[in-house]
Amino acid sequence: MTRVKRGRILPREAGAAPLEVVIGVMAFLAALALGGSLLADRAAQGWRAGLSGKLTVQVLPPEQGFPEPALTNETDAALRVLRATGGIVRAEALSQGETETLVEPWLGAGAVVADLPLPRLIDVTLLPGSRIDLAALRRMLHRAAPDSLLDDHSRWIVRLKTLADALVWSAYGILGLIALATASAVAFATRAGLQAHQEIVALLHQMGAQSGFVARAFERHYLVSALGAGAVGSAFAAALFVAAGGLEFAGIEPVAFLPPLTLHPAELAWLIAVPLGAGAIAWATARLSVLAALRRIY
Amino acid sequence: MLRFENVGMRYGSGPEVLREVTFTLDPGSFTFLTGASGAGKTTLLRLMIMANPPTSGLITLFGHALATASRSAFPALRRRIGVVFQDFRLLDHLSAFDNVALPLRLAGRRPAAYAHDVEELLGWVGLGDRLHSRPHTLSGGEQQRVAIARAVVGRPDLLVADEPTGNVDAEIGQRLIRLFGELNRLGTTVLIATHDRSLIERGRAREMRLVDGRLVELRAAKP
Repeated sequence: MTRVKRGRILPREAGAAPLEVVIGVMAFLAALALGGSLLADRAAQGWRAGLSGKLTVQVLPPEQGFPEPALTNETDAALRVLRATGGIVRAEALSQGETETLVEPWLGAGAVVADLPLPRLIDVTLLPGSRIDLAALRRMLHRAAPDSLLDDHSRWIVRLKTLADALVWSAYGILGLIALATASAVAFATRAGLQAHQEIVALLHQMGAQSGFVARAFERHYLVSALGAGAVGSAFAAALFVAAGGLEFAGIEPVAFLPPLTLHPAELAWLIAVPLGAGAIAWATARLSVLAALRRIY
Repeated sequence: MLRFENVGMRYGSGPEVLREVTFTLDPGSFTFLTGASGAGKTTLLRLMIMANPPTSGLITLFGHALATASRSAFPALRRRIGVVFQDFRLLDHLSAFDNVALPLRLAGRRPAAYAHDVEELLGWVGLGDRLHSRPHTLSGGEQQRVAIARAVVGRPDLLVADEPTGNVDAEIGQRLIRLFGELNRLGTTVLIATHDRSLIERGRAREMRLVDGRLVELRAAKP
């Protein structure tokens, strides 16, 4: 007995490279979209967490009279009210310097800012899970400090949530489109492969091969191609996210005003789903295409 | 084993290639099918091996009326038929060994279980030293012997061969006919389409002739 290893039912396709390139590029884009959706989701959670446990009280400078003593008095009064309110763990007024630092990105540093009638800001931290009657607090603040404004950030939270949800769902939409395009490309390639191997398929069919046997030969071929190409595309995307993390680590901000583009290891692991998904699409499309083609043969 | 009743065949809206063909192949019989080129031999063989459905008439194979049999039963019926195609139809990317082993592989047998049989059969047809050769490196006669070995390796119930000795010399041709005879003695029903009169005259087999799509019984099997 000289050999027992079986040859492949289908020959290796010389023309399969373009399909693998298409799947690789699709996987790269899908991994970017998936990573983007994870980043958007994480950023949205961070924004919500950062704002939802906080209140800000602004004490506006009076339009007439001597602003500085009045501002200080009203700020102290507001602080007393806040510190006496249940559910508030911390209420601290920002110094003049801290307030100037906040407006500096918009107005710049220097004498102009120092001359502006800036409001006093009080940063309020709530006890996690506490429910505060904001209307009652607003009334008490107004009585103690008539020029104060209470901001619970709800307007920003709603907007940020809407923005983050839109980003996440856009990423899912892009993922869906890429999956559709991948499935179409694989279906097209499978049909072309069937056409190219028509004689082999016809011979196997004539020799009594079950449809599943023929389909398996094709689906295995496309599964392996898609897994390989998908892994390469996904690895490139992962490398891009890691590189972005490296830049941030080095203190270089790749895109200003956007949250960090670094994926955590657990999030990077999600990118493994991309080649698996590409393989599953290729497998299913190849199988369905081959079975449909075989049903048309007598 | 196989029965044709008033079978007719035409391709699309073309002329009728076979007309009211009626015959029976008994189990264990050996039959030659002859006829001029274009008489309809290949079409008749295609109907016998279930490559096409007839346009009219009834075909009964292994007790199953094909017109009413479930399509899911077809693969199992096809696996009981060994076919030697005139153009061989070997898979170029597979070795001679893998080509011959293909029917056994389709039947679900493991390589370790069939490797010895395949090697022995290839040796018997004179290709024991070409086990791992690809078809395109073999001569026409060698390819034909691989095709024959593939058709008989699974000991089919029905063997249908289209000009199986057309590309081989007389000695190999005789050897192949002895192989068919041996298989026939073991119970396989054999039908060979051929132009080779010497082959037909030497044997004692029944001869059916196709003339313009109609079947003419020329000679019953000699006792």
